[in-house]
Parts: sequence; C-alpha cells; structure tokens
Amino acid sequence: MVILYAVLGALFGLVLSRSGAADYDFIQGMFLLTNFQLYGIIGTAVALTAPGLYLLKRYGRTASGAPIAIELKPLHRGNVIGGVLFGIGWSITGMCPGPILVNIGEGKLYALAALAGALLGSAIFGVGYPRLAAPLGLPPLARGTGDG
Amino acid sequence: MTLILNDVTAIHWAVAGASIAAITLVLLWVSNHRLGISTGFEDVCSLVLDAPYFRRPAVLDARGWRLPFLGGLVLGGAVSAVLGGGWAPTWELGMFDERIGWGPAGKVAWMFVGGLFIGFGTRMAGGCTSGHGIFGLSNLELPSLVSTVSFMAAGLITTNLIYRVIF
Repeated sequence: MVILYAVLGALFGLVLSRSGAADYDFIQGMFLLTNFQLYGIIGTAVALTAPGLYLLKRYGRTASGAPIAIELKPLHRGNVIGGVLFGIGWSITGMCPGPILVNIGEGKLYALAALAGALLGSAIFGVGYPRLAAPLGLPPLARGTGDG
Repeated sequence: MTLILNDVTAIHWAVAGASIAAITLVLLWVSNHRLGISTGFEDVCSLVLDAPYFRRPAVLDARGWRLPFLGGLVLGGAVSAVLGGGWAPTWELGMFDERIGWGPAGKVAWMFVGGLFIGFGTRMAGGCTSGHGIFGLSNLELPSLVSTVSFMAAGLITTNLIYRVIF
C-alpha cells in the first residue's frame, strides 16, 4: 500500500506541477482575477468529485469491501481565522501545502524555506492547541481540527 | 500562459481538474482516506515533537499513508521537471523577480514568513485547498465552505495589496 500512496501522490504532484497549481504566477493571476486557470481546475475537480463521492457513499464499500467512513470536519471560529491566515500565506508564497512539496521536487530552492515555515507554523499550532481551543471553540484535543 | 518551470505550457484546466477528481476518488475507494495535504505537516512534526497534540492516534495512525503520499508529491514535481526540459535547482520566481526583485536571501525570508501563515492557518482551519476546497466542498461540508471562502478572500486581498498597492 505504501507504494500505492506514493504513486497516487506522484500523479497528484505531476498534475499540480503541469497545470499551474504549483506556479507562483498562476496563483497570483488567480488572486488578481487575471487568469482563469485555477478557477477552472478547482471548479472542475469539485464538479466531478461531488457526484463521484455521492455515488461512492451510496455504494458504501471500498475496494477491499470495508465500509466507507468519512469523518466530517468540525465547524468553529478557526475555520474563518485559520482560513484567512492560510489565504495570506498562499498569496505570499504562491503555494498551498501540496504545491510546496511539488515545488521542492521541481528544484525551486525557495520552496524549502516555505516548507520550514509551514512545519514550524504547524508545530506552534499543535503545541498551542490547549490554549487556543477555548477561545476558538475547537474540538477536544483528541479529535483536533480534522484531516485535510 | 507558460509555467515558471522551463517555460512549459500548462495543461488544460479541465484535464487537470478531472485528474484531481479521479485521484481523490481512487484514494477514498481503495483506502478509505479523505484527500488532504496539510495534516501531513502534523505527521512530519510528530516525528520529532512530543506535545500531546502530536501523540494523538489520529496523527500517528495516518503517517503510514500520508508520509508516502507527501513523498510522492515531491517525486511528482521532480518527474515533471525531468520530463519537461530537465531538472535543475533554481531561484526563479516569475513576476516576483520582475516586480519585487529580491535575491535569494530575501526570497528565503519571504517564503519562510508565508510558510508560517500556511502551517499555522491550515491547521487552525482544519484543512487547505485539497481537504476543504476539493474534498470538503465536494462532500457539501459547511466548515469547508466557510474555510474556502475565508482563504480565497484573504488571498485576493493580499495579492492585490502586494501587486496593485505596494509593489
């Protein structure tokens, strides 16, 4: 299975790399509303994933026959505040989390600095979780803010 | 429009979107995992940090699939470069070079600060473009809609401040 996850990740990385989703200029063009590409990509992905998910959940089984169980994300004030902070970071770097790794693979050296920042930012959030939970209305620590 | 990477022409958005949908659905179908990259930062942190947040089963149990997936992303970027004109280390940064023009040290500082916002923000929001923007929206989850609107709005404002006001 490890090989399968690596292959799926590599395919995802290849698509992000060649589509502009991991390209600084395409991301700035998206936020400047001068380039449609990223809206087309995300829109198409959602438009096709949504019916696929609906059918897969109705079918209800994974390839190995296990029941499909999707853990839903919790709603809290961190969705807005964290979302805003992430949006600022996405604009500054021209990368969201996947493309940071893709850019490193492409040989873009500055992406290593973005990764270092992202890991430190995650570490600060994780260490600070007990103090952030009450003001932000976050779920108990054992659950966290959810997979994503 | 061409990519910064070797001036390669980008593939059509519909092809890219359909491929991402296929990868998302295959991942769920074969392994019962929802697509999401930013949680992987926690998995990496858990390799070296002992804070209770990084010792949760949700983090530890997911390392087995998320770490290879993250490694795959790096590999995919490298394969893309090799097949598209060759791999070489570079500091090229498109319109940042034209308009802001900072050298390597400036870029490292700029990217590190941006990375801090990404790591802290995505973990607080509980997801990023993939987990909220693609999987969450496709699964009609309200927290994902709230998060996606928040990060898109913040990105729009920040980039417009950077390139239409400051630089």
